[in-house]
Amino acid sequence: MSSTSREGWGVTNLRLAFPKKNAMLFKDLSFDYQRGEKVLLLGPSGCGKSTVLQVLSGLIPHSIELPMRSDRQEVPNNWGFIFQDPDTQFCMPYVDEEIAFVLENRCIERAQMSELIQRYLDMVDLKLENNHQLIRTLSGGMKQRLAIASILALEPEVLFLDEPTALLDPNGTEQLWKTVRQIGKDRTLIIVEHKINHVLDFVDRVVLFNQHGEIFADGPKQETLARYRDKLDEFGIWHPGIWSDYEKNQIGNQINSEHAESILELKNFAVLRQKQVKFSADHLCLNRGEWIAIVGENGAGKSTMIEGIMGLLRTNGQLRWSFDHPENHVQFVFQNPEYQFVTDSVEDELAFSLRVNKMNEEEIARRVDEHLERYALKAQRNQHPFQLSTGQKRRLSVASAMINHPDVLILDEPTFGQDAKNTFALLDIFQQLRLAGTTIIMVTHEMEIVHHFATRVLTVENGRLVNDCVSSEGGEERNRGQRLGEHEQVVF
Amino acid sequence: MDNVWASTNKLFFKINPSLKFLLISSLFIVYLFVQNLNTMIWASFFFLILYYLVSGLAGKWSFWFVFLTLIVSLFSASAMIMFGKGSHIIYHQSLILITQESLARGLLLGLRTFTFSLIGMIFATTTLPVPFFYSLMQQLKVPVRYAYGCLAAFRMIPIMAEEFLHIRQAMRVRGMTRQKGIKPLYERMNRYSLTMLAQSIRRAQRTAIAMEAKRFSMTERRTYYYEIGWSRIDLYFIVIMLLTVTLGFVFAAYFPLTPFTNVLDH
Repeated sequence: MSSTSREGWGVTNLRLAFPKKNAMLFKDLSFDYQRGEKVLLLGPSGCGKSTVLQVLSGLIPHSIELPMRSDRQEVPNNWGFIFQDPDTQFCMPYVDEEIAFVLENRCIERAQMSELIQRYLDMVDLKLENNHQLIRTLSGGMKQRLAIASILALEPEVLFLDEPTALLDPNGTEQLWKTVRQIGKDRTLIIVEHKINHVLDFVDRVVLFNQHGEIFADGPKQETLARYRDKLDEFGIWHPGIWSDYEKNQIGNQINSEHAESILELKNFAVLRQKQVKFSADHLCLNRGEWIAIVGENGAGKSTMIEGIMGLLRTNGQLRWSFDHPENHVQFVFQNPEYQFVTDSVEDELAFSLRVNKMNEEEIARRVDEHLERYALKAQRNQHPFQLSTGQKRRLSVASAMINHPDVLILDEPTFGQDAKNTFALLDIFQQLRLAGTTIIMVTHEMEIVHHFATRVLTVENGRLVNDCVSSEGGEERNRGQRLGEHEQVVF
Repeated sequence: MDNVWASTNKLFFKINPSLKFLLISSLFIVYLFVQNLNTMIWASFFFLILYYLVSGLAGKWSFWFVFLTLIVSLFSASAMIMFGKGSHIIYHQSLILITQESLARGLLLGLRTFTFSLIGMIFATTTLPVPFFYSLMQQLKVPVRYAYGCLAAFRMIPIMAEEFLHIRQAMRVRGMTRQKGIKPLYERMNRYSLTMLAQSIRRAQRTAIAMEAKRFSMTERRTYYYEIGWSRIDLYFIVIMLLTVTLGFVFAAYFPLTPFTNVLDH
């Protein structure tokens, strides 16, 4: 259990099983690493990378009790673990208290604490006016950096990072890796990650897992990645150049919108949250068949805008749909799909809104089958929505919105937290829908999606609609490119 | 949520939370044994004044809390007033029977509820969770795991509130709120509890693992970021509380507003 050799750690012949599952997750898996190494673990979702990380840190079986067996489990004396979810890593309400919690665990004298807290916050470049600030007022990226600061307070020699940027936007992701790079210089890093653009610069060893939880490649970064490049696409890993790969295989993503039938008009429109105007637009007119991307920084008011359009928040001014009953023509997909599941099986979930509209059961059955097929959920039809994988949950939420055949689909960061494979599957679906005449309105941080798919880009800044550029055909295409360049500078 | 506190700098915030907790709890026991209606009237009057002087709540919130408490007290009084026993009948109509004795007992019960709520609120509105649990660990030797467990739970409350709003929005979007009747209402309730329970269990488990990953151990010795100690303010607090309680009893003795000195006797 404890560390005996000073220079390396690892696990030999690991076998581990999850309760209620017949198959072993690992069969005699061995993995070793040396002091100072920076290792990246890659593999498809559900292959057990995160579990390996928890075994290497001793969290399994010490904190998480799972039936496991190994010939040797050597855990470093001082380690820190960064988890995926920024909201569940803290137990105290304020920033300084959270770091102090770790210092208390280490029995550091009270007199030294304030100084140390400041030092760890400086190390992760988290500059706050007052360290006694509520954690929930921080952005996701800042929370993750605080998580790192509190881990640094353990003075760890080995850092385990379990997809720390999965729930961060591109901006937060970049800053987080910059921080990890700085603090990781003289430490050992073991990283599990799906978005490897910023990670590749500073790791030196890459380990690849297959679906069955076996290591099939392990070696220096360059060689391993060059040899197994095609595997990265298969695993759904975001790697540099994935977009150009995708574009090659893609034909239908040229931008053209011939329809000019107006479906939504906003005039002097304002959205209120707690009696304060959080978004306003003087005039906006959206047309059928457009793919509208809403971009802007965190907290700029993008979500407020679409929630206002959906009538979920109080609004002032004019909001006019070209439909008599907009609730039957407009569908909304939330950022977290779990909130919008209202039944206990995938099948019922799809049928729900049709039953609300009192459609006859034959037609319902037909549509449900059709959508199960189209969104690749056939095998899961009787499962509980909460049991699905992240990608399947997202597909189900889109499918249950689309089953009504709406004219407009509004999405709040639909690709957030999804791996590359799922993202491209979704984008293909949206593209098909748009070509069939559905208007797509989505909030997104991914500028690549904006580049490749959007026919129109709305920029929101400080609660105002500040830019609206339509990109239709030919001559304006170049113009669009330039403008997007501007956006990228603004946004990132 | 953020504008609930008017000021966290008032005198009562600086009292040792353990002392405040113990003294306030003992007051509950004191007033549990008071059977004199006059004492109860004067006590609720003085605690109402004290509450307004020391409460850290913003005015609007404070008002609604007291208002709500009054209504609850009225309910608890009404049962006793309308269905009690007694010989001096004031009003009689089918099941409802109001007598002087039952009126007095009812009023006492209502005022007791009211006083209990006020005392409880004097504590709740002047105590922040972090110093409270630190003090419990340091002065009352409450096991570390319970204290930090409770603190972690406090952190979940705003997250859950936000989650509740999201689910409500999602239900509107899915058309769940368009269904009327008992069964859809039951299903909505079901959905709220299931989703929030599932999320909370998951969050709690993750937080627990994260805490252990930060080397939180339940038995070992630890140091504290906040040392909660004693000060002169604690003395003031004891004096203020004793004064309030004594005033209630003294005024009841010298200025009795009703003839009911023991509601159980008549």
